[in-house]
Amino acid sequence: MIIRGAAARQCRHAVSRNSFRPLRRSLSSEVNTADSSTQDNIKQLQSLEAQLNAQLARPAPSARVPNTIAEQYHQYKQQQKIFGKLGTHITPHYRPHTLLNHPPSPADVTLELLLASEAHQGHATSIWNPANARYIHGIRQGVHIISLEVTAAHLRRAAKIVQEVSRRAGMVLFVGTRDGQDRAVIRAAELAKGYHLFERWIPGSITNGQQILGRCRTKVVNEKDETVPGFEEQLDERPVLRPDLVVCLNPLENYVLLHECALNNIPTIGVIDTNADPTWVTYPIPANDDSIRCIQVIAGVLGRAGEAGQKMRLDAAAKGEITYTPAKGLVMPGEEEDSKKTCPAVDAEIQENLLEDEGLEDAGEPSAKLDEAASLEGNERIKVVS
Amino acid sequence: MGRYDFRPLRVRQTAKALFDTKRNDALPQWYQVLGDIPPSEALSRPVQRTPRVRGMRKPSKMFQPLPIAYPEDKLRSEFFGDHPWELARPRLVVEDSGNDAKAFDWSKIVQAGKQLDGESVIQHQLWLMKNKSYSKLRAYDQARSEFYHHRHLEDVRRRVAKEEALHVGAYFGKGPLEVGMELEDKAWESWKRWAERQIDEEQSMRAQMFSGPQEGDEAAVDQYEDPLDELAVSEPAALQGPPGRI
Repeated sequence: MIIRGAAARQCRHAVSRNSFRPLRRSLSSEVNTADSSTQDNIKQLQSLEAQLNAQLARPAPSARVPNTIAEQYHQYKQQQKIFGKLGTHITPHYRPHTLLNHPPSPADVTLELLLASEAHQGHATSIWNPANARYIHGIRQGVHIISLEVTAAHLRRAAKIVQEVSRRAGMVLFVGTRDGQDRAVIRAAELAKGYHLFERWIPGSITNGQQILGRCRTKVVNEKDETVPGFEEQLDERPVLRPDLVVCLNPLENYVLLHECALNNIPTIGVIDTNADPTWVTYPIPANDDSIRCIQVIAGVLGRAGEAGQKMRLDAAAKGEITYTPAKGLVMPGEEEDSKKTCPAVDAEIQENLLEDEGLEDAGEPSAKLDEAASLEGNERIKVVS
Repeated sequence: MGRYDFRPLRVRQTAKALFDTKRNDALPQWYQVLGDIPPSEALSRPVQRTPRVRGMRKPSKMFQPLPIAYPEDKLRSEFFGDHPWELARPRLVVEDSGNDAKAFDWSKIVQAGKQLDGESVIQHQLWLMKNKSYSKLRAYDQARSEFYHHRHLEDVRRRVAKEEALHVGAYFGKGPLEVGMELEDKAWESWKRWAERQIDEEQSMRAQMFSGPQEGDEAAVDQYEDPLDELAVSEPAALQGPPGRI
C-alpha cells in the first residue's frame, strides 16, 4: 500500500486525479423535465471545463512531468534508489550474464570461483595425457580432478602476459571455436582491444597470410590510438600483419592454429584439459575446457588483464611516453622521402635501446638524440594497426 | 626426444637466435615480457605420492594420481545401497560462489539453499557422530527418520497441490499406471498376433505331414452338416422317387 500510494504521488499525471472527479448527480425524487435536465448537464460540463482549464493553467508541483528522456531516466533512477530494495531480500547467487558483462579481473581469481565454475573437472582417467600429471590433484568418480591451485597460478601468469603484451600494443587474438564460447571470446577481445575468432580457423592464415589475409584493411595509428591518414599507398606494400599473442580456449580443435603459431614464433596461451597436450602452447592454463562457465571466467580474466594493459599504455601515451617500438619503414605523408628515411629507423632504434638498456652511463645522450629526432620528424610516433 | 615438439615453449630462444643471425632485423615486442615471465615447467613428473602406497613398486605406477577418498564415501554407499531410488532423483550441481557449503549448519537436516538429498542425510549423520558422539548406526537411524519425515511432508504437499489443481480445473497427462497399462495392452496384443501365427503355422505343418482326415477336417465337415439339414426341403411324398433310386 505504501508503494502504491508513493508511486501514485510520483507518477506522471497530466492532471491530478483529486480534482477530476465527475460530479455525481445527487439522488432526487423529483422527476426533472427534459429542459431542466439538459440544462443541468450543460452546467456540469461547463463547470468541468472550467476546472480542467484551471488545472492545466497551474502545473501541480508534486507531479512534475519530466520533459526530456534524460530527465525521465534520472527520475526513474531516483525511484529505483528509494523503492528498488523493497520486498524480498535475494541472497547473492550465480547470474550467468555477469560473467560476460562484468567479468572478474585477475585479482578476483579465487579457488572458490574456479571451483564454482567447474574448472577442476577433468576427463576420464583412461583418456588422460600423462604430460599433464603435474596438474592433476587426484581421481574422483573415474575422472581426473585438476588442482585448482595450479590452475589459479597458471591463470595469473597468463593474465600477466596478456597485460604486458597489451601494454606494449601487441596484437592479441582470442580464439574459441566451440559452441557457446563466442560471446566470451568477443567480450575478451573487446576489453583487451584485441581480435577474436569464433568460427573455424582457416588453415594457412599465418603461414599463407599474404594470400588469405592480404586484402584486410589496415590503418596507421599514433600512440593515442588516433588514426593517422595518408599512409594508404605505403600500407599496400607492407607485409601482412601477424598476431603477437594468441589465446586459444579449445586447443584440441585448433591444433593447426597452434602449429602455425609455433612455426612462426608466436607465443600462445591455451586452456589445457587432462586429455590435451600441454606442449602445444607456450603458457598452458590447466582447466576444464568443456564447461562454458569456466571458459567465461578464464576469457574474462584475460580480457580484464588486457584492458588493464591497454589503460597503462594509453595513460603513458597521454604523458608522452611510448611503451612500444614504432613501425619501421613508414614515412610521414607529404614530406620528402630522402631526408626522412633515417629518422624513423633512428628513432625506433633509440626507442629500443631506451627500453632495453637498464644502466646508461650517460643518461642525457639518448634523450638528446630523441629530441633531435623528434624535432626533425614531428611528434608523432606511428604504428601500424589492422 | 623425438615425439615432442617444444617449439611453442622455445619461442623466446628462437626469436633471439633469429635476431642474432640477422634473419630478423629486430627482436619482437614481447621478447622482454617473456623474459620476465617465463613459461612454467613442462612435462615434469609429479611428486612421488606420500604416504607410499603399498603394493605399488612399479615406477610407472609410483607417480600416478591417487584416488580422492572421504569418510563420507562409506556412509554414502550404505545410504544409497539402502535407498537406491534416491539416486534417481535429479541433483543440482550448480554452485553460486563456491562457498555455499560454508554456510551450512548440519545440526539440522534441512539447509537453506540446498535440496533435501541423500547428501544431507549423510552430513547430518556425520555431524551427530562428531558433535553428539552418537554411534554410526544411531546417527544413521536418526538422520534417516528425520529424512523420512521431510519426504513424507513433501509427498503430502504434492498430493494436496494436485488436488487443489484438479479442483480449479487443471488436467494432467497420463499417470504412470495408465501408461503402464497401455504398454501392457500393446505387448499383449502383439503377443496374441504372434501366437495366432504360430498356431496357423503349426497346423499347416501337421497337415503336410499326415494324410487322411484331420481334426480340422472333421470340424470342417461338421460345419457343413447343419446347413445341409437346414436346407433340406421337405419334399412331398409324391415327388420323392421310389426307394432305392439315388
